[in-house]
Amino acid sequence: MKALILVGGFGTRLRPLTLSVPKPLVEFANKPMILHQIEALKAIGVTEVVLAINYQPEVMLNFLKEFETKLGIKITCSQETEPLGTAGPLALARDNLVDDSGEPFFVLNSDVISEYPLQEMIDFHKSHGGEASILVTKVDEPSKYGVVVMEESTGQVERFVEKPKVFVGNKINAGIYLLNPSVLDQIELRPTSIEKEVFPNIAAEKKLYAMVLPGFWMDIGQPRDYITGLRLYLDSLKKKSSPKLAFGPHIIGNVLVDESAKIGEGCLIGPDVAIGSGCIVESGVRLSRCTIMRGVRVKKHACISSSIIGWHSTVGQWARVENMTILGEDVHVCDEIYSNGGVVLPHKEIKSSILNPEIVM
Amino acid sequence: MGSTEERVVAVIMVGGPTKGTRFRPLSLNIPKPLFPLAGQAMVHHPISACKKIPNLAQIYLVGFYEEREFALFVSSVSNELRVPVRYLREDKPHGSAGGLYNFRDLIMEDNPSHIVLLNCDVCCSFPLPEMLEAHRRYGGMGTILVIKVSPESAYQFGELVADPDTNELLHYTEKPETFVSDRINCGVYIFTPDIFTAIQGVSTQRKDRATLRRVSSFEALQPANRSLPTDYVRLDQDILSPLAGKKHLYVYETKDFWEQIKSPGMSLRSSGLYLAQFRFTSPHLLASGDGTKNATISGDVYIHPSAKVHPTAKIGPNVSISANARIGAGVRLVSCIILDDVEIKENAVVIHAIVGWKSSIGRWSRVQASGDYNAKLGVTILGESVIVEDEVVVINSIVLPNKTLNVSVQEEIIL
Repeated sequence: MKALILVGGFGTRLRPLTLSVPKPLVEFANKPMILHQIEALKAIGVTEVVLAINYQPEVMLNFLKEFETKLGIKITCSQETEPLGTAGPLALARDNLVDDSGEPFFVLNSDVISEYPLQEMIDFHKSHGGEASILVTKVDEPSKYGVVVMEESTGQVERFVEKPKVFVGNKINAGIYLLNPSVLDQIELRPTSIEKEVFPNIAAEKKLYAMVLPGFWMDIGQPRDYITGLRLYLDSLKKKSSPKLAFGPHIIGNVLVDESAKIGEGCLIGPDVAIGSGCIVESGVRLSRCTIMRGVRVKKHACISSSIIGWHSTVGQWARVENMTILGEDVHVCDEIYSNGGVVLPHKEIKSSILNPEIVM
Repeated sequence: MGSTEERVVAVIMVGGPTKGTRFRPLSLNIPKPLFPLAGQAMVHHPISACKKIPNLAQIYLVGFYEEREFALFVSSVSNELRVPVRYLREDKPHGSAGGLYNFRDLIMEDNPSHIVLLNCDVCCSFPLPEMLEAHRRYGGMGTILVIKVSPESAYQFGELVADPDTNELLHYTEKPETFVSDRINCGVYIFTPDIFTAIQGVSTQRKDRATLRRVSSFEALQPANRSLPTDYVRLDQDILSPLAGKKHLYVYETKDFWEQIKSPGMSLRSSGLYLAQFRFTSPHLLASGDGTKNATISGDVYIHPSAKVHPTAKIGPNVSISANARIGAGVRLVSCIILDDVEIKENAVVIHAIVGWKSSIGRWSRVQASGDYNAKLGVTILGESVIVEDEVVVINSIVLPNKTLNVSVQEEIIL
């Protein structure tokens, strides 16, 4: 079976992290974002994954070689020379996605994390016999998104409504699709939107079906949602009693700590924290609702909450970092500094407190 | 007078990528020394100025950037100006004087009688031949270019006091808290080779103190030189300040323009100063037009030969348009730098801004700022490949590369 992951653009919403590394390689819960998806695809028997990209192919290609061998799955890149929207890349990668087997192929959005119920989706697709299946997820505020209006018992999709002003339904497109090769015949190699052009056509022919995603779903393409997404992800690890979660007297709630990270005495870590490889958390540190990327040193008595600390940064003694502070790569927060929502570009030193949310270039 | 034996070597300090983050977001795409001012790379201006020095043997660019970032530029400028230019990479920070000392063997290879030291991020008329002549008259070890500034702004620089008759440097302080003098250090120097002896002296002194610290705990507590490595020598604090008043150093005052180019806003101001200078030194570089066959040009404007400007557009004053830019009908450009491959569509207006490479400005859109070069958002900066859609207004903002603006913004930094 084959799959395509829409990687696309420059990841500008995840800046300053994406100023150092392309978005799919930014770690989420201590693993590159795209690896979460590739592993889920491999687990249900996908043999080839195509990454539709239009940015920094060299960096991506190096990473891919490493994981091709480790995972035993073929990974290729399909590079857009001009942005092709959400459907055009499928036409570009046609030759990789379709073979003589006539099997359907998966399409995933690289920003989405969820439990990936891909086997259930395959079963659902077979049972309804339609041309395309999409996963939908229930949200509280559907008007922010594209709502999928569907017949509840069969899942047959009636129509899509973009940002509806009145309530038409509470299920939105989760960005995970299973498509028959015949769908590719409807997509031209030009900038095309799958939600606005392709799916409405298939829905009109009554051949599009939606399955409600069990479990969590999050678009982690921006920092606030990344932090919420970590909470949901760790929660699902807890439900599965995953051994990966840390435990101990200094751990509260769900916490992930890479085995090479060191944590000092008298710390209190959690809830909803991920600590990456090679990190050093000195004694007396309080961490909550945050991600500490690879190679970070958090000095004694510091306190970090609701923030993301970029690779190889340092947070000084008694520093307090909170409220959506995002530190890029190699940022050094001096001792005793307070950061309230500072967004700091790479290679900076923060020598004076940031009292209000501010971008530091 | 200068004999044919008296060769001169120039050294231009260009800095490095992680050193000055103040030039962001432009420095995210290009090393600051290569950013164009009045159509030529920032470092091109001091290099051209050095060329006016008689018997100039060699120009060295010294910095922390990778060699490959300067390879193309160095080869092209050597060819264009017919003067040997070479980029030297510092392996670690040595301080402003230590850097010079680090490459002394190379510098002395040409057996120069004089060494010109310049900072690349200084916008100046670089009166080097006159300064060299003055230096010879003074007969000291070094001559510093100085300029008079307003007393309120002097504290940002190195302040100097000089003897009004002999021009000897009497006193030098770097960024003092109280007012010392309204004459400041322009970052342009001429030295004789004994500067190397002076720099070596500082290293040796520091080494001796380090030894002393190991034996005496009292010395170890002295804050002054506690954390500096022995080969880290700063020109201002370690050489100029101590040597002031000892008849070694002199000053030469310029009454022309001078600015430090630390921020993108200042690069727009500097571009304007160089454009104004072109009117006297190289008027053929400036554009002209009256709206009939070519666009209407007002004031000092540079347009690259490959750029296309519609005849109904009005350009200037202080506008610099780079290669392959396309300026559409009815466009108005005032006080801006338009970089390579930019497309500005019909009837758009750009005032006090820098528009990044490959960006696109939509029809009837307006990109502007207050024009306060010192304010953080005083000049609107659009990074590489920014798209401003039709009719959108962008005021006093900074937009990082690869963004599309489809709603108007004011006073914002967009990542």
